[in-house]
Amino acid sequence: MKKEVMQNDLDNKSLFSPVSLRKRYPTLQATLLPALYEAQKRFEWLSLEALEAVSKELDVPKATVRGVATFYSMYKKHPMGRHLIQLCTNISCMLFGAERLVDIIKKHYGVEAGKTSDDGRFSLVIMECIGACGTAPAMLVNTDFHENLTEENIIKILDEYK
Amino acid sequence: MIKVTINGKEIELEQPETILKAARKAGIKIPTLCHHDWLKMYGGCRLCLVEIEKMPRLQPACSFLVSDGMVVTTESEQISAVRRGVLEFILINHPLDCPFCDKAGECELQDAVYIYGPSSGRFKEQKIKHPENNTDPLLARNMERCIACTRCVRMCEDVQGAYAIAMTNRGDRTLMEPFSGNRFDCEYCGNCLTVCPVGSILSRPSKSSYRPWQMDANIATVCSYCGVGCLLNLQVRDESIKKVIPVEDAALRSSFERFGPGVAEKNTEKNLYENSVENRKSLNRGLLCALGRFGHEYVDSRERLTSPMVRKNGKLVETSWDEALDFVALKLNEIKNSSGGSALAGIASPRCTNEDNYIFQKFMRGVLGTNNIDSTARLGFAGAQAYLENLMGQGITANPISDLEDADVIFVVGGDPTIATPVLGLNIRAAAAKGAKIITLGRAAGLGRSKPKEITANLFTENKVLERLLALLFSKKEMTGELPAFEEKLKAAAAAPPAEKTTEVTGVTEAEMAEISEIVASAESFAVVIGSDIVQRAAGHCGLFCLAGISYLASGRIFLLSDRPNEQGLIDMGCLPDRLPGGQSLAIDGFRKKYEEISGLTAPPDKGLTLFPMLKAISEGEIKGLYVMGENPALNLPNWPAGDTRKSKIKSLELLVVQDIFPTETSAMADVVLPALSWAEREGTYTNLEHRIQVLRRAVKNMTYGRDDWRIIAEISSRMGTAMKFSSPADIMAEIVRVSPVHRDLRYPDIEKGTMLCRPYKGQPSKSQAGGVVHGEGFKDLIKTCDRPGGSLDDKKSMHRDFVLLLERSLFYSGVTSRKTPALSRIRPDAAVLRMHPEDAAPGLVEGGRVRVSSPSSEETLELETVFDSSVPRGAVKIPEYLEDLGVGALSLITNLPVDPVTKAPAFEECRVTVEAV
Amino acid sequence: MNKTLLANIDDPRSADLDFYEQNGGYESLRKALPMDPGVIIENVKNANLRGRGGAGFPTGMKWTFASGDPKFPKYLVCNADEGEPGTFKDRPILEKNPHILIEGMAISAHALKSDYGYIYLRGEYPDARVILEQAIDQAYEKKYLGDNVMGSGKKFHLSVHVGAGAYICGEETALIESLEGKKGQPRLKPPFPVSVGAWGLPTIVNNVETLSNLPLLIRIGPEQYAAIGSPECPGPKLYSVSGHVERPGVLELPMGTSLKEIIYEHCGGIKGGKTLKAVIPGGISTPVLPHDKIDCPMDFVNMPKHGSMLGSGAVIVMDESVCMVKVCLRAIKFFEHESCGKCTPCKDGTGWLRRILARIEQGEGHKDDIDLLVSIAGNIAGKTFCPLGDGTASVVQNFVKHFRAEFESHITGRGCPF
Ligand SMILES: Cc1cc2nc3c(=O)[nH]c(=O)nc-3n(C[C@H](O)[C@H](O)[C@H](O)COP(=O)(O)O)c2cc1C
Ligand code: SF4
Ligand code: FES
Repeated sequence: MKKEVMQNDLDNKSLFSPVSLRKRYPTLQATLLPALYEAQKRFEWLSLEALEAVSKELDVPKATVRGVATFYSMYKKHPMGRHLIQLCTNISCMLFGAERLVDIIKKHYGVEAGKTSDDGRFSLVIMECIGACGTAPAMLVNTDFHENLTEENIIKILDEYK
Repeated sequence: MIKVTINGKEIELEQPETILKAARKAGIKIPTLCHHDWLKMYGGCRLCLVEIEKMPRLQPACSFLVSDGMVVTTESEQISAVRRGVLEFILINHPLDCPFCDKAGECELQDAVYIYGPSSGRFKEQKIKHPENNTDPLLARNMERCIACTRCVRMCEDVQGAYAIAMTNRGDRTLMEPFSGNRFDCEYCGNCLTVCPVGSILSRPSKSSYRPWQMDANIATVCSYCGVGCLLNLQVRDESIKKVIPVEDAALRSSFERFGPGVAEKNTEKNLYENSVENRKSLNRGLLCALGRFGHEYVDSRERLTSPMVRKNGKLVETSWDEALDFVALKLNEIKNSSGGSALAGIASPRCTNEDNYIFQKFMRGVLGTNNIDSTARLGFAGAQAYLENLMGQGITANPISDLEDADVIFVVGGDPTIATPVLGLNIRAAAAKGAKIITLGRAAGLGRSKPKEITANLFTENKVLERLLALLFSKKEMTGELPAFEEKLKAAAAAPPAEKTTEVTGVTEAEMAEISEIVASAESFAVVIGSDIVQRAAGHCGLFCLAGISYLASGRIFLLSDRPNEQGLIDMGCLPDRLPGGQSLAIDGFRKKYEEISGLTAPPDKGLTLFPMLKAISEGEIKGLYVMGENPALNLPNWPAGDTRKSKIKSLELLVVQDIFPTETSAMADVVLPALSWAEREGTYTNLEHRIQVLRRAVKNMTYGRDDWRIIAEISSRMGTAMKFSSPADIMAEIVRVSPVHRDLRYPDIEKGTMLCRPYKGQPSKSQAGGVVHGEGFKDLIKTCDRPGGSLDDKKSMHRDFVLLLERSLFYSGVTSRKTPALSRIRPDAAVLRMHPEDAAPGLVEGGRVRVSSPSSEETLELETVFDSSVPRGAVKIPEYLEDLGVGALSLITNLPVDPVTKAPAFEECRVTVEAV
Repeated sequence: MNKTLLANIDDPRSADLDFYEQNGGYESLRKALPMDPGVIIENVKNANLRGRGGAGFPTGMKWTFASGDPKFPKYLVCNADEGEPGTFKDRPILEKNPHILIEGMAISAHALKSDYGYIYLRGEYPDARVILEQAIDQAYEKKYLGDNVMGSGKKFHLSVHVGAGAYICGEETALIESLEGKKGQPRLKPPFPVSVGAWGLPTIVNNVETLSNLPLLIRIGPEQYAAIGSPECPGPKLYSVSGHVERPGVLELPMGTSLKEIIYEHCGGIKGGKTLKAVIPGGISTPVLPHDKIDCPMDFVNMPKHGSMLGSGAVIVMDESVCMVKVCLRAIKFFEHESCGKCTPCKDGTGWLRRILARIEQGEGHKDDIDLLVSIAGNIAGKTFCPLGDGTASVVQNFVKHFRAEFESHITGRGCPF
């Protein structure tokens, strides 16, 4: 079940914050968070160029845009692989061996926490709680939830992501 | 009435305030770090936590408001432990490198740890490292020392309005960064330096050059760059200015406040200005701009003129002062005797002091017998000022800059105030931040963040817009009867039938005009800010008339921008061909008699020549001797008479005397060059654009053979047989005060205190002379002149390669002094480019390609790179004004300019140039 | 007790509007719209509804403050940032029963005279976003949202605002900053959001679960509602249980169900028949309880009497095999990662704690380290700008308090005994 989640209902007029989005808020700056998501999709990551483009469109100073973008952990501050593995290692997941999973992923795909594999296939990000504690350990691959991970099934799941 | 008890002391307050402020009133000090009086409340550092009765949690004194009956304790075991704890936390990732830190000795963290901190640290782990970033030419960032108080960011956003920096990341990875993470790309005001409590942001020009306690002197003086006249402290060591800080440097002040007499007091000992909040508000509020803060290195420049020079056998050679002065005296006498005073002329300087300029005009009038006195103030300020005063009365532009902040509608016309007068620009931004509406006509990019209502009129049709606006406003507002003569004129103006074609000509719709007039009409506190672009028009006075009318109808205040420190002073000193000191008309015998009585010399009764006729008279050989004080007209003025070649003597002149601190394009042509003193080496007074008179203090010894401008002239005068017995600027001021009615009763010691302000003047301003002196012809003629704003553009368009030349001003450039300041050159764009609208590009013109710019009437040409920029109006090209870095003045392209018949200002930008690809 | 918050969530159609309507959905909104807003607020007060976001603030009281404010518009913000580790109770509502939240918000908006609502959804719930947005679209179509809600003339617009990974945005003022497109750093209080909130206007922030209680409350009325669970803080409550239990998951139980009962009856006891070591009862910011202190009613009033807090009702169960130093370290790592960096004690102190804990865990601890940890925690507690820092301090304080011996054995044994 793969879904394009951040597919913004874009009108063509504005690249990052479509009119339909703007209408929801009293200020343009309020669309900054969604606009950054959109920009990171278009530019693949939030390069200075991407941030500047958002700054221009939203009329928010570019230094401020960068401050916001770097504050939140889900924005890509450097180029990343084709697939983003966001693996939770917080307590509930840790109790069921999430840290072992990090090692396994590393061994299998050659990607360390916070890094991207050499072939550009995966980036691995260690997450704080992703709200799947009851079905721990869990991860998000791109926008797909995978829960009840085990040392056995994790590779099978990840192999699906070419 | 709110009653609070702090440490057992009862305090009564009119309205709720923070605990910190309430405690201060009771003389109780509470340590703070992230708090700063000028900035929004923050409450992040937690050093100021205090106990409040019946509250379980400690609360930050800096940001918690008192309420009636509150009982606060600011000192206790618990609180001491909290302060120790907070400081210990701050220090864990701090490099503890006070021995190499520039801030040591005036660091708020150091002071706080000294008093409240733990004596030893318990932190044994790895510190977080951030290497110092020195990629910016002016500002170094050391983020290991940063305490994340965000004072710099709050300054940059809320006060400076530049939004150039932000805190990035979060938690203990938080950093202050400019957008690029490296270079700042900002306005370089350096106001972040002022508020940084620690050594995290450092000025690179002064880095590692001295320790605060090793300073020889800390001299309070006035900035030498623009007409705002910010107050500065020059920090001096070994006769060299190491650093410039605003007079109210926050770090000094607040550590003084918190820790009482100590390090800070030593630093402020020589600071004669009172550090009161009122004072701050009335001056530059502790803010500076790039020029003021970083523009001082020229004083130490090795290129300074060091000795008098006289032209011998076609070459300038160094001589003694005696020889040079005798030579000047002799030659001047010769010319005066053979051709009369009218064959002599003088150009005074808005960078020189009031005293220099007073002596200058006195010498010209009384000794040389000529009224041919003018200056570069003629390029806009002087004529505009005189015209507005003629219409509306003397002192009409004498409005406190700080009042701008309280205006609710501000109309900015004819230039970007954040460039011409940066700190005044901040007042406009501040007003906008408080909710004022800003309307702009003409360039004002620096106000972009203030969300102005921009009127985009076609090139050179601003006067039409203003005319329409005046008519609309006239229909909405009653006249007060205050200035009957002016009202007559306004009535005539409004009675003129509505110009049907206004919209067609200007491109501004009637609806837009109506909206703007409504905003102006409903203003409660209205201000008009006038820049030089609107004055530098062939019919500039028409625009001024409309602006005066708009201001009058809306009960506004007028601010006339001046990008030189003493243009107003120069006018007040009578360095004008038709006015004596104090704005007294030469034509009125009574004034002249009094002037002669007090000065002891006679002044010729006939008006002299204004600048451009003067230049013409030079070219035509009618003027044979020219005396230039502290000015570089060969570069700054169009229509400058040519020599045989560049840098050679001007053929038509028998004598050209140039008094300056640097060799300039003009001094290269001179017969005699006399070295003067720089701003930091001399004393005297400046009068800023709001007519405030302020004292310039000597900060460093002069290392050349230079002399005070006024002294040089006084000596020549003596050699010509008229002794001028002044021993100091104060002495000269004593005479000025007697001569000039606007300076009446002003005593030098009062001016010197800095708090003694000369605004409005104690003297009586003379009433409006509208209808008297200048064009009593009625409004019909006015309209007529308005109709020809530099001719029609359309004919020119057909010539394809012909464009209107617009001059691009830079925040970091202001003539010779800034040019000789390496710090400023480093932040100026290094390549000068020509900007044009992409759709104007003729075949063969490509972005990035080089073009040659020439003008029909000048031999000079320029070669530059092209940049396409759709903000440039169609039919125009934009060239930086500061091109002389490349060896050629952009102004040299401009010759044969039309001059406004009333203000006598040149129509700078109405010059056409040809642009060809090379 | 019949489930209401999680009613029918096992049915695959549970998120669908038709299905929701067939099961009595939006009837409470229909009932509430003709009611006087003041009366609804009175009802909420009388029902003694307490906020389910963690602090347990009386909802009726918060609403009274806001409704008295003359400034308009008022914003109603649903806090769906659910970031407290161990907490996943709001997720089933968001993903499986979105209309109960939308209905709850529409009722609340009527009571508060609020025209605009936002659901601040954490970025880590991508599915919930899709489902919520679909549900909102359906509700617009059926006029449960829009310019004229159910023909009552009342206007209420609702949209989802997606966060981007910052736990602190769960704190209501940080959430508002984030909603405005800024960094999620808490604001100075006072003024409180009820008077100066989003875009400077009165703003009411309530948790997903809190707002989802409204349909029930309106349907059965305050008296009956107040009869559910603990008398001081009644109503149904969602508990999210994770860790070493046989049947982890989200449970809907009456407020005040005992922790012991939750673990042993509703969740089938400790996994694999092992013995219990410790429980974090309300999300990792709440004080850990050793195995012998779990006989306590899980509500806002009683938990503090038993040495902990209800928090978000996120129960993390740990069996005998778990190293408490490691858990403590992991928790502090979380707080270090999530500190917003605004105030000194949390910004710098947390990293210090983490570095010491990491040393101890790796067997490089000194004997003074434990006291140092407690002292540092003491210097953080109560001194920070927002409660996140207090949470950090309390984690260290309580782990050391209950499991000091384990810390000591790491130090003396130069490594982890587990
Ligand atoms: C650090 C911190 C994190 C918080 N996270 C959440 C959260 O994820 N969800 C939530 O509903 N409330 C959270 N809160 C509580 C909110 O600030 C606020 O009290 C709550 O949204 C109010 O709603 P309620 O009254 O319905 O509980 C958090 C508070 C703090 C201090
Ligand atoms: S305690 Fe301070 S640093 Fe930590 S999250 Fe709250 S405000 Fe930010
Ligand atoms: S000075 Fe009050 S918190 Fe920093």
